[in-house]
Amino acid sequence: MKPETELKRSAEPIWWALFSAGGVCFAVFIPAAIVFLAMLLPLGVVELTYTQAQSWYFSIWGLMFTGAVVVLPLFHAGHRFRHGLHDLKVQQHTLVKVLCYGFASALSLLCLGLWCIGYFN
Amino acid sequence: MINVKVARYLPEQSAAPFVQEFKVPYDASTSVLDALNYIKEELDPSLSFRWSCRMAICGSCGVMANGIPKLGCKVFLRDYEQGLLLEPLAHLPVERDLIVDMDAFLKHLEAVKPYLINNETTAVKSATTHQQTPAQLGKYKQFANCINCGLCYSACPQFGLNPEFLGPAAITLAHRYNLDSRDQGKAARMPLLNTAEGPWACTFVGFCSDVCPQQVDPAAAVNQSKVESAKDMLIQLFKGKL
Ligand code: SF4
Ligand code: FES
Repeated sequence: MKPETELKRSAEPIWWALFSAGGVCFAVFIPAAIVFLAMLLPLGVVELTYTQAQSWYFSIWGLMFTGAVVVLPLFHAGHRFRHGLHDLKVQQHTLVKVLCYGFASALSLLCLGLWCIGYFN
Repeated sequence: MINVKVARYLPEQSAAPFVQEFKVPYDASTSVLDALNYIKEELDPSLSFRWSCRMAICGSCGVMANGIPKLGCKVFLRDYEQGLLLEPLAHLPVERDLIVDMDAFLKHLEAVKPYLINNETTAVKSATTHQQTPAQLGKYKQFANCINCGLCYSACPQFGLNPEFLGPAAITLAHRYNLDSRDQGKAARMPLLNTAEGPWACTFVGFCSDVCPQQVDPAAAVNQSKVESAKDMLIQLFKGKL
């Protein structure tokens, strides 16, 4: 055990908060998005034109959609991968951390960037 | 008769551990601990193992029974008719036969300051009784049932990977005192719980709660401690101390 004065606070609460929020999104919003986009739309149960989709997505709702269906689930998945690799005894903890959260951040930024381009045009 | 295989380690005789097989008579009430005592008394007096109470309260008779951590006095031969392999508790150094070195486990328990901490002077302490409502007791009662058997440490893959991890029972104990209305020591316990070796090393496997013979549910305590640690971080952040 380390002496008390050397105890270092872990940054884990931040990743864990993103992971928890992402977990809720995975459970609630992703199934809804799949039902809508991958089932109801192709089956023709609901109709959505390109212009409708575009004007809806590039509004503030689209930003919320990106957060709930892309960004938070990405961080959830990144966290799971990171801990899964630890369980598989991959020892390069820092590298794994950078890769997992880096991938989640890069894809998130890409999505948010695309949204910004559409929104501000 | 049941075939009971026992993992033996006799450092003064051979450097390598080996497995020895015994035939043990049994009836419906023969516990695994009874079987070990039968072996020691009737078949091989050199066998070493720990036990004391025979009634699942002292926590000293933990062994791996077919790979699962169990209290020897709480499981019965009748449930192992297919054969039984007894090994020392996993993740702890073996001293001899079924005896493991519990030092790391006990150090972790001590490290969380598992006692009531408050600012009262000794005079006040001895003069007052500390009354608790049933609701106040209910908050921590389940977590106070731990008998320090260490089964949860053998069940925990994270403790197996990193013996610095405080582990299920120690975090549960810290949480038990943090929840106690008579205690004011939470601030003193949080720094250790906030480290990477505290609850954050847990990936919610949950096997600790499955094997706990006292239904303490250490996994719940560990995950409630994560919430406490996250809250602590937020509070310190707002106070500008981070
Ligand atoms: S929490 Fe349960 S399994 Fe762990 S040491 Fe206490 S009684 Fe044993
Ligand atoms: S002998 Fe005491 S718990 Fe088994």
